[in-house]
Amino acid sequence: MPRIVREAHVSWEGTAARGSGVVSASSSGAFELPFTIASRIGNPEGKTSPEELLAAAHASCFVTSLGGELARAGTPPQHLDVHCTITMDEVEGKGHRIVSSAIAARGTASGADAATFAQAAEAADAGCPFSALIKASATVTINATLEGGT
Amino acid sequence: MADRTANVTWTGSLMEGSGTIQSVDSGAFGPLDVSWAARTEDHEGLTSPEELIAAAHAACFSMALSNDLAQAGSPPDRLETSATVTFVPGTGITKSALTVRGLVPGMDEAAFVEAAEGAKENCPVSKALASVPEITLDASLL
Repeated sequence: MPRIVREAHVSWEGTAARGSGVVSASSSGAFELPFTIASRIGNPEGKTSPEELLAAAHASCFVTSLGGELARAGTPPQHLDVHCTITMDEVEGKGHRIVSSAIAARGTASGADAATFAQAAEAADAGCPFSALIKASATVTINATLEGGT
Repeated sequence: MADRTANVTWTGSLMEGSGTIQSVDSGAFGPLDVSWAARTEDHEGLTSPEELIAAAHAACFSMALSNDLAQAGSPPDRLETSATVTFVPGTGITKSALTVRGLVPGMDEAAFVEAAEGAKENCPVSKALASVPEITLDASLL
C-alpha cells in the first residue's frame, strides 16, 4: 500500500499574543503564508489561519471523494463547487476547540438526479479521510445541491 | 468564535480531472490547483489536503507552544516547526509527525520538551485530529 507523505513548515517568532509566523508548503512549495493570533481569532486581515487551512483541506478532500462517488454511480460530474466553513469556538472548560465543519456542495453530473447526487454526497462524506477524522471531535454537516437536475 | 471558509471547484473525473482551491475568506491564498495524481503520486508543485492539514497542524501547534512558553515566563525568540502528514489511500490519514526546534532564552531542554508535549496534546488542531492513529513529537532546543 503506498504511503503518501506531505510536509509543511512553520517559522514562528515571539509570543503568541505579539508574535507572528509563516507557514509554508514544504512538499510542493505551493504556498508561503504569514499568520498571527489576532488574525486567527479576529478579523483575518488578509492572513490565513489553521482553521482556514483545514477548511481548504476538507473542501479539497471532499470534492475528490464526491467526484469519485459520482463516477462510481455512473454519473460522472462535469463541474463541482464545494464550500467548507470550519468554526473554532471557546468551549466551556476545554478552551478553544474546532467545533464544526460545514460543507456546501453544488454541481452538475450527467444523468444524475437529485437523489443520486445526495447519495453520492453522503458516500463522499463517509469516504473522505478528513471527514472521517474530524467527525470524532466536531460536527460535520453536508448540504448537497444538484444544479440543473431533474 | 472564528469561522473560516474555503471554496474549491472540480472539473471532470477523479483520475483525469482536476480541482482548484479558488479562494479563502482571508484572501491569503488561491487559486491553488489540486489533482488526484498530485495528491497520491509526485506532487508536481501542487498542494493537497494532506499538505494543508500539515500546515494547519504546524501553525496551530506553534501558536499554542509560544503561548505556553510565554505563560511559563520564557517567551520564545523563535520556533521552527514541521508537520509531516501520512495518507494511505483506502485506509486514511495515519500519522502527523511534529518536529520543533526552539530558541528560548532561560529555558532548559527538559522544560521545553514538557511544554511542547502539552502544546501537542492541547492545541485545537491536535484535538480535531485526535482520531489520527499516531501523532508524534520530536522537540529540542536550537
